[in-house]
Amino acid sequence: MPRWFARTPSVDPRPSRAKLRVGIPRVLNAWSTHQFWCGLFGELGIERLNLVFSGDTSEEQGRQYGKGRGTVDCCYPVKCVTGHYGELVFGQRQKLDMVFSPMIYTLPSFMSGHVARTLTCPRVMAAPENIKAGFLKERDVFAENGIKYVTPFVSLDEPLLVPKQLFEGGLREALPGLTMEEMQRAVDEGYKALREFNERARKKSREVLEWCARENRGCLLVLARPYHMDPGIGHEIEVDLQAYGYPILWAQYFPIDDDLMQWAFGPDIAAGHIKSPFDIKDVWPSSYSSNTNEILWGAKAAARIPWIACVIRLASYECGMDQPTYTPVQQIVERSGTLFFSFQELDSTKPAGSVKIRVETITHYLEKYATDIIRKKKAASPPGCPLLPSAWETERPPLVRQLAPRA
Amino acid sequence: MKIVGVDVGSTTVKAVVVDCDPHDRSSERGLRPRSESWGEAGRSTPQACDDRRKGGEAPLRVTGEAPLRVIWQDYQRHNTKQAEKVVEFLGRMEAEAGVTAGKDRVFFTGSGAGFIAPLVGGKLIQEVVAVAACVEKQHPDVRFVSEIGGEDMKTIFFTASGGGRSKQVYMQSACSGGTGTFVEKTARKLQVASERLAELPYDGMTLHKVSSKCGIFAETDANTLVKTGVPVEEIIASLFEAVVYQNLATLTKGNTPMPEVLLLGGPNLFFAGLQQAWRHHLSKMWAQRKVALPEGRDPESLIVVPKEALYYACLGCIEIGGEEAEDVALYTGREKLQWWIDEGQHQEKAKSGARGLIASIADLTKFSCEFGAKGAAPSATRSATSVLLGCDFGSTTAKAVVLSQEKELLFSCYALSKGNPIEDAQSLFRQVREAGFTDIGGLALTGYGKDLLRDVLGADVAVVETVAHATASLHYIPDADVICDVGGTDVKIMILRQGTVSDFRLNSQCSSGNGAFLQGVAERYNVPLEQYADRAFQAKAMPSLAMGCGVFLQSDIVNQQRKGWSAEEIMAALAAVLPVNVWIYAGQLNNLRAVGRKFVLQGGTHRNMAVVKAQVDFLRSKVPDADVVVHPYSGEAGAIGAALCAADVYAKGLETKFRGFDTIAALTYTSTTSAETVCKWCPINCTRTFIDVQLPGAKGRAWSKLPLAAGYERVISGNSCPKGLVEDVNEMRVVKAKLEETKRDYPNVAEMVRADAFRRPKAVASQA
Repeated sequence: MPRWFARTPSVDPRPSRAKLRVGIPRVLNAWSTHQFWCGLFGELGIERLNLVFSGDTSEEQGRQYGKGRGTVDCCYPVKCVTGHYGELVFGQRQKLDMVFSPMIYTLPSFMSGHVARTLTCPRVMAAPENIKAGFLKERDVFAENGIKYVTPFVSLDEPLLVPKQLFEGGLREALPGLTMEEMQRAVDEGYKALREFNERARKKSREVLEWCARENRGCLLVLARPYHMDPGIGHEIEVDLQAYGYPILWAQYFPIDDDLMQWAFGPDIAAGHIKSPFDIKDVWPSSYSSNTNEILWGAKAAARIPWIACVIRLASYECGMDQPTYTPVQQIVERSGTLFFSFQELDSTKPAGSVKIRVETITHYLEKYATDIIRKKKAASPPGCPLLPSAWETERPPLVRQLAPRA
Repeated sequence: MKIVGVDVGSTTVKAVVVDCDPHDRSSERGLRPRSESWGEAGRSTPQACDDRRKGGEAPLRVTGEAPLRVIWQDYQRHNTKQAEKVVEFLGRMEAEAGVTAGKDRVFFTGSGAGFIAPLVGGKLIQEVVAVAACVEKQHPDVRFVSEIGGEDMKTIFFTASGGGRSKQVYMQSACSGGTGTFVEKTARKLQVASERLAELPYDGMTLHKVSSKCGIFAETDANTLVKTGVPVEEIIASLFEAVVYQNLATLTKGNTPMPEVLLLGGPNLFFAGLQQAWRHHLSKMWAQRKVALPEGRDPESLIVVPKEALYYACLGCIEIGGEEAEDVALYTGREKLQWWIDEGQHQEKAKSGARGLIASIADLTKFSCEFGAKGAAPSATRSATSVLLGCDFGSTTAKAVVLSQEKELLFSCYALSKGNPIEDAQSLFRQVREAGFTDIGGLALTGYGKDLLRDVLGADVAVVETVAHATASLHYIPDADVICDVGGTDVKIMILRQGTVSDFRLNSQCSSGNGAFLQGVAERYNVPLEQYADRAFQAKAMPSLAMGCGVFLQSDIVNQQRKGWSAEEIMAALAAVLPVNVWIYAGQLNNLRAVGRKFVLQGGTHRNMAVVKAQVDFLRSKVPDADVVVHPYSGEAGAIGAALCAADVYAKGLETKFRGFDTIAALTYTSTTSAETVCKWCPINCTRTFIDVQLPGAKGRAWSKLPLAAGYERVISGNSCPKGLVEDVNEMRVVKAKLEETKRDYPNVAEMVRADAFRRPKAVASQA
């Protein structure tokens, strides 16, 4: 961490920003770029408590803050953004000075360089343009509330472009005294914060897998877009399964350590099917969409890890990006003997009754088949799985105490 | 010359005749803007509504100095006889207003006008265009129009643009939410007369949550509210709220309705409460959005309901018609339309009808060979060894089956649910014991009551319905791909993969596609359900009914009956439309080929061979190589599946937890229904009953508001949703605490994201 030593707070040119309050809608790709923005605005001198994310999506939020400003869109994750904007504008005890809603064109992904592109869904990328209309069409609601609306176009998977995109995309005007050098430092800090968070999450996932391997217990992998972690969009369906005693992993934060990747994908690389562990051309040649790529890769990973006994697929109503992936993902998972269940057409309301029955159905089959599935998948795996301890230790504390504490 | 404007709507026909003879007209052409007689009359009094409702005896004549003289107008409900009502109106216009064929002109609008207009020489004008034309002429200051009809709703936004006004129109006619039917259907159920409905207020009423989206759900909500003692007035006010909410939510699309606002159509005119709801919501919205109102005007006065609110489409027709060349839309008389009513529509019947359920006798014979009389009766041989018991506690009936260790069905019985699950269970176990089965090796429960009764009865497993049905199917038909279970009140479709239920569709809230609807129609024709198939197979042809909502299906049946279709033919048609409703409407499965080729039909409704025949034909038309099988024990599949799951436990050599017949028969319990048992999880406040059963070893509920001593188990009934099974906040706390413990032991990476990803870690700054 060399930067910490190089920092010279005495010449900080940012006192005027200390009081600035910045709001970011907690929507869409914010669910995978969160810490980037935290790191960035922190470095730009925004106080920790003055960086405000809107709350989780809820129907109540939409009714209270978004009513009548809605957009014609069948994609609920996009549609609900109206409520988040409304909450940031009308729902703050202390008024905000800026609503920052980036149009993210490409995403930083662990698969970068191994796939064609890491683009975002065009509908998701353009959501800020779509949603702002409800706040600008008749009168400028932002201006009326003394809020600067900043919505830069940004290619987060091309770090060299990012400082200029943000600087010229509105931050220069919004932050007094901002220089390009400072912008560059902030962007670096953003990537660092995001990387650190992702690494921490992957480490936790690995610990879960190692525990499963040791205890010979099954866990579940969720294949979904990052925003399905939003309780208002994914409806915490995976939490209902967790309550039955199954640890839950998400493909976005899957452990990608070399040893594990080589063990899982080595044979495929040796056979020439793929060039690297993160190459998915064997199953998904048009690998241009970042979230889709990660879902397809997650399916492959789930097929190869014996202790992933079941895959849960979440998809929102009418999602055109997810539609073509249903069959390949299901086939990849099922061919390995892993259970596969999907919750499609998620919308604003949690279909509680149907989710309950589905969860009970899933846990019934997990209870019945998990041990068998793990055994069969283990038998089909290459030897020397790095998740298994080399020397068997008998006494084990429960899983929770082995996991890294939250930072 | 006279111009006639006729609006043939979904529930009423409206007509206006205007005299445009030159000697009566001033130099100005077109309707006079805002004449006093039409005024911005605001609320129509209930009295006025009353007069109008009786309708027609004394057509309102608006004469005087108006440049266009309205010499005749009327509106009446057509009760689905649109053509007949139009003929009647035309006849009266000829007699009372001197409308003459070959001289005067007729313009039509409205959803039902399409086939009528050409039969009388009329010209069709799109309804929104007509309404907009009239509004533009009459109300230059109006910026927003809401027109609510019987089965549709429309909004028009006018925005000033370059000297004129541009229009934006939104319309919805696929769903009953937000329309007049939405209010009326529920009001009828609540036995509120139309006259009273018109007067009931919105202002000052306590509102309750009523689904605004669907008329059927709203009716259910209203029923529940009635049950809990909510006054009818409050329910009606809540319906008005739902209609306005639905209109604003779906038909404004991000625009703010700006003053002045015009409310049109029957419901807006007649229901004083609906007008109040609009005024309330729009005034509030204007205040919130800081909309500048014209000086000195009270916001409520900017929302106008013209006295002629019903006739705007007719007047618009006349407005547009006046601009047309003189020879357009010349009235040709009633004869052709009368002919269509008398004969034409029946000829159409013959042409349009699909073939019957069976194509020929050979077809029926082939079908009977394949599917006839296979439902094997249980072999009631007593078993010397232990048997396995499966019980299915559904919402209307409870069923039990006895399986031998070889998994043969030995016995089955059922009990109609009386609302107390303990009594239902006692009745089932009595029957099982009387049939001579005493040695129970394993007990499994499924259905709605499975979790309630698990401990009380000492069940070894409580199996979710999907698993029970799938297990039952796979036992008899191991290569099944899809199970379609059609019961009395619900539809279940289960898609199987790898021996598990990978996906399913449940529909218990929509009446389309379930057996009760079929039964209802059979009852109306006085045909016992057992004879349904025989009668339906007699039909040589049948009308094609539209797939979809049960409400619309009902009116479609009335419509087909009028065209002369007989009971047999309609019953055949209803059986034929059931698979479409089950698979496509309720199940949303458009690509059946993708789900498999071996289909299992089960559930009570599939005992009706007419339905099976329709299912087979439908499935084979979608999946040519479909293999369709009717489950040998169609109605008992759930209970059989449960018993098979009990067999799994038995096979493991575990001893059953079954409490024994004597214990169950002797179960003593006290029921409590009081203020303390009312469910507080949502505003419906179900009055629940707590049934406290004496049970050795039970933990009791010390934390409860109605504390329960150890040695007792509480069973909750009378709740209308699963939430009510949790007693109160105290129990929730107990449940939550246990859940949190599990969640701590079995982590979820998303929880880490939710907790930590959206804030800057505090520690970072000091890490340096």
